Amino acid sequence: MPEGTVCNKKTIDTKEQLDALLADKSGKVYYEEMKSLDVNVDMLKTALKNTLRSRLKTWLEMCAHCGLCADSCFLYLVNKRDPKQVPSYKIQSTLGALVKKVQKGEEITNEFMHYCMDTAWSKCTCCNRCGSYCPYGIDMGIMFGYLRGLLFAQGFVPWELKIGSGMHRVFRAQMDVTNEDWVETCEWMEEEQQDEWPDLKIPVDKEGADIMYTVNAREPKHYPEDIAEAAILFHIAGENWTMPSTGWEQTSLSMFAGDWGACKMQVETVYEAIDRLKPKRAMGTECGHAHRATVVEGPYWVGRKNGQPPVEYIHYVQWVAEALREGKIKIDPDKRIQEPVTYQDSCNYIRNHGMADIVREIMGYMVAPGYFVEMTPNREHNYCCGGGGGFNGMGKYRPQRNVALKCKRDQILATGCKLVVSPCHNCWDAIRDLEEEYEIGIRWSFLKPLLIKMAIIPEHLKPKDE
Amino acid sequence: MFYNKILFATTASPTCDNAAKVAFDMAAKYEAELIVFHVLGIPSRGFSTQVQDVKTGELEEMYDENYTALVKEEIKGYYNGLSDGVDKLKIEVTAGIPYTEILRLARKEGVDLIIMGSHSTDEDVTSTRYRGTAGSTMRKVAKRARCPVAIISRPCTTCWKLFSNIVFATDFSKAADSAFQYAYKSAQAVGARLYLFHSYDLSASYAGGHAPTQGEIEAKVKEAQDKMQSKYIRKMSDYDNYEVAIWEGTPYVEILKYARDKQADLIVLAHHTREYADPEEAVMGSTVEQVVLRSPCPVTSVNHPDMVENK
Repeated sequence: MPEGTVCNKKTIDTKEQLDALLADKSGKVYYEEMKSLDVNVDMLKTALKNTLRSRLKTWLEMCAHCGLCADSCFLYLVNKRDPKQVPSYKIQSTLGALVKKVQKGEEITNEFMHYCMDTAWSKCTCCNRCGSYCPYGIDMGIMFGYLRGLLFAQGFVPWELKIGSGMHRVFRAQMDVTNEDWVETCEWMEEEQQDEWPDLKIPVDKEGADIMYTVNAREPKHYPEDIAEAAILFHIAGENWTMPSTGWEQTSLSMFAGDWGACKMQVETVYEAIDRLKPKRAMGTECGHAHRATVVEGPYWVGRKNGQPPVEYIHYVQWVAEALREGKIKIDPDKRIQEPVTYQDSCNYIRNHGMADIVREIMGYMVAPGYFVEMTPNREHNYCCGGGGGFNGMGKYRPQRNVALKCKRDQILATGCKLVVSPCHNCWDAIRDLEEEYEIGIRWSFLKPLLIKMAIIPEHLKPKDE
Repeated sequence: MFYNKILFATTASPTCDNAAKVAFDMAAKYEAELIVFHVLGIPSRGFSTQVQDVKTGELEEMYDENYTALVKEEIKGYYNGLSDGVDKLKIEVTAGIPYTEILRLARKEGVDLIIMGSHSTDEDVTSTRYRGTAGSTMRKVAKRARCPVAIISRPCTTCWKLFSNIVFATDFSKAADSAFQYAYKSAQAVGARLYLFHSYDLSASYAGGHAPTQGEIEAKVKEAQDKMQSKYIRKMSDYDNYEVAIWEGTPYVEILKYARDKQADLIVLAHHTREYADPEEAVMGSTVEQVVLRSPCPVTSVNHPDMVENK
C-alpha cells in the first residue's frame, strides 16, 4: 500500500481531514500505515535540486567528522555519550546518506526513512548549540530543520506534528481556536478584569497603535489569564496597543513539522494583520519559537528581500526591559524576588537572537541583589530545555524526551534554586513536565505574573470602591 | 430569587455527591435547566493532544470522541438515581484547566448559579503541581464567576426552598453589595430569617503589630453598625424578618460560630476582596475557603451584580 488513508504525502487542508487524523487515537493506524508508505524518489530529487543550496551542500561535504560537536550536544551527554548521538554522525547518516543515495540512484527504503524520522525528531531539538562549537560553524540544527522538510513532504512525520501543521492550515493557529473564539476570549478577559482594573481595555483591530501584540494559541485555548496578564501590564505601562482579530497566532508547529507551505501561510496571516492595522511596532508573547518563526525565519519564508518583518517586531523580553528602563513599569523594591532564582535561557531568542544581556537587565530589576543564580552553562551556551523543536508534544518519542529532560533537571538542581523564571512556553512546558517526572520540588513562572505582583500600581488605575 | 439555568460543576466522584443532591433538587424544584459539567482532563505535554484524566491520572486523547462519549455515559449513569424530575438536563464534558472551562461555560450559557462540591487543595489537580502556583479551582471560580457560586461540602438535608435561616456575612466591600442582594432576595423568596453579620478582623490588627484597645474595637463596631444600616437595612424596605450581629475576631471563625449558633441553612458571602490582593500567596486560603471547608451548610459566594440584580 503506497499511500495510507491517514498516513500519506498529502497536507491537511480541511477540517474533515484533520478530524480523520485526530480520530486515529495516538496515531496507531497512522504509524502502521507508515510502515508501508512508498518513497517518491523523483519528488525527492526535485526537492533536493531546488532547495539544497550551497551552504548546506558545503556543510555536508566539509564536515571532517572530527567529533568536536559531540560534547556540545545535550542529547549526546544525557544518553551516556552514545556515539550514535554525535551531531555530525546524526546528520551524515540521515541527510548526508540521503543526498548520496539520490545522487547514486541507490534504493531509498522505508526503513531508512523511518530512521531519518526518528533521528530528525527524537535526536535533535534544533537548538543550534552544535553550530557554536563546530570549528567550521556547521549547524546541525539547521540541517535537521531542512531534513524535516524533506521528510514531511514524503509523509514521514510524527502524528502530532502532522496534526499541528494541519491546525495551522485549517485554523491559522496551532490549536483549534477560531478567530471568533479568539475575539470572544479577549472580550471575556477584558470583562473579568473590570473589578480590579477599571477602564482596562483589550483593544482588538485598532489601527495605528504603537504596538500590535501576538500570542500563542494555547493562551486562548487553555490559559486565557496569560492574555489578561499581558493586558494588565500594558495598562500599567500606559501603552497604546492592540491585537488583530486575524493573524493573532504567532507560533508555528509547522516549523517543527517541516511543513514549509504551512509556515508561509501562517506568517503571511500575521504580516497581513500588520499591513492592515499599521502599528508602529509588533511584539510577541513570551514564546521562543514563535519569535523564531515570525521574526527571524518568517521574512525569508514569505520572500521578503530585506529579511525583516514588515515593521520592527520585538520579543516580549525586549519590551519588558524597555518598560523597566524607561520607568513605564516601576518595581516595588520590597516585592522583588528574595529567594535564589535562576533563568532558563531559551535557545530561540537567546542563542539564536542575542537577548542574553536584555534578560539579565530584567532580572536586575526583578530580583533583590544577591539572589540571582546563573545556570551552568548559560546565556548563548545554555542547553535546550529538553523539549524543544516539538519534542514536548510527541507521544512516540516521549521516553526519549523524558531522558532529555535530565540535563535541565541537573542544571537546575546545581543552582540550588527552587524558582525558575522561564519566559518561553516550550521551556515552561518542559520544566513543568520535568517536575512531574522527577519531582525535584521547583516552581516555574513566566515573567508576566511575577511582574504584576511586584509592579507599583499608579494611583489613578486603582479601583475606587470602598 | 429564581433560577432558569444551573451549572453543576462536578468531579463526577463521591466528593461531589452532596453537591449533586442539591443541584438536582434545585433544578427540579425551580424547573430550571441543569447543565452537569465535568472537565475530564487537563492539558499536558506541551501542544500534544493528550490530556491527563483527572480521575485516573492516565494520559488520554482530548479529541477522542469515543472517550468523551464514554465519560458522558458514565456521568449519566452515576447520577441516574437523582435525575427524576429534572426535565432539562444536559451533560457536558471537555478537556482543559477546570476553573477556566467552568467560567467559560458559565459565561457562554449565562447561568444563574454554579453549584460545586468542595475539594481540598491536596486532591485538586490544578493546584501547586500543575501551574507551579497555589490556588484551587473552587477559589478561582468563586472569585471570578459573574453569578452566585454555591459550594456544598456536607449533606444538605433541607430543601433549598425550605430554608429558614440565611446568614449574610459581610466585609462591606463592593462585592458584598451583590452578596447582600442575593441573600436578601433569597430570604424574601423562601421566607427565611436573614442574619446580617460582620466580624471586625482582629487577626489583621495583630498581624500589623498593634493590638487594638477596647475603645478602638468599640469604635469599629459602631462604625460597622452604621454601615449595616446605610448599606443594607435601609434597602430592605418593609422586610423585618432579620437581625444584625457584629462580633470581633478572625472572620472565618466568627462566621462559623455565628452560623452554628443560628442554625444557618445557608451562608452567603462575597469573596472578601482585600485578602485577595495576592492570590498566589494566600496559601492559608481565603475566608470563603475556610468557611466552605468547615461549614455544615451550603455556602454561596457572590461577587458580581450581573446575575443577582434582576432576579
